[in-house]
Amino acid sequence: MPLSAYLIMSAILFTIGTIGVLVRRNPLIIFMSIELMLNAVNLSFVAFSHFLDSADGQMFVFIVLTVAAAEVVVGLAIIVSIFRTRRNIDVDEMNVLRG
Amino acid sequence: MDIGTTITFFVLAIASTASAIGVIAFKNAVNSALSMILTLVFLAMFYLQLNAMFIAIVQILIYAGAIMVLFLFVVTMLAPDQGDVGNRDPMVWQRGVATTLGIILVGALSYLIYTTFTISQQTKATGANSLSQVATKQGDIQAFGQALFHGFVFPFEVTSLLIVIAILGALIFGRRA
Repeated sequence: MPLSAYLIMSAILFTIGTIGVLVRRNPLIIFMSIELMLNAVNLSFVAFSHFLDSADGQMFVFIVLTVAAAEVVVGLAIIVSIFRTRRNIDVDEMNVLRG
Repeated sequence: MDIGTTITFFVLAIASTASAIGVIAFKNAVNSALSMILTLVFLAMFYLQLNAMFIAIVQILIYAGAIMVLFLFVVTMLAPDQGDVGNRDPMVWQRGVATTLGIILVGALSYLIYTTFTISQQTKATGANSLSQVATKQGDIQAFGQALFHGFVFPFEVTSLLIVIAILGALIFGRRA
C-alpha cells in the first residue's frame, strides 16, 4: 500500500476522535477519543518511519506513548476527584473551577 | 504491490474504522472502552504490517493492556449505568454540526494527502541510518534500540522525569479525599 493510504486511514481515525470530543458528554469517553487521536497520529508516524526507512518515527511513537500514559493517569485522577466532590461527571455541569 | 497486503490493509481499515466509531457511538462507557481495546489491537496489526514489531508489541502491552485496564477500572467505579446523557441531551444540534465538520475535515485532509504527498528517493535514510538495513543485519528490536540509544538518549531520560511528575500528580489527587 502507498504511504497516502496509511495517512488517509490516520486522518479518518483522527476525525472520529475529534467528533467524539465534540459530541460526547461523558469525560471518560472524551478521554478515550483523545487517545484515539493520539493513536491516529502514531499510525502516521509509523507509516512515515516505514516509508522513509528511518527509525525516527518509531522514537516519536515511543515518546507519544509515554505522554499518553502520563496524561491518562493524571486525567483519570482529576475525574475521580471531581466525582468525589460533585457525584456527577457530566462535562456540561463542570463549568466552575471551584470545588 | 501484492494482493495479500492490499486485502489485509482494507480489512484492517474497515475493522478499525468500525470499532473507532463504536468508541464514540456506544451509550454505555464500558462498551466504548472494549471497542477502544479492539481499535488498539487493529492498530497494532497495522504496525506489524509496517514492520514496526516493537511498537506493535508495546501498543498491545501498554495501551490495550495497562491504559485500558485503568480506564475500565475508573469506568466501572463511576457508575456506568447512569451512562452518557444522550437521552436528555440539551444540545442535540451539536451532533449534526460536529458530524458535518468532521466530514469536511476528513475530506480536506484526504484530498490534501492524496494530491500533494510523495516521498522522493533522496529523503530516504541510507547506510547506517537505514532502518531496513540494520533490521536485516541485526533484527528489528536491535535496530530500534540502537536508534533509541544513539540519537534519542536525552528525550528517553526526560521521559522518566515526566513519569515521576505524573505519579506525584496522581498521588496528590488521590490523597486529597
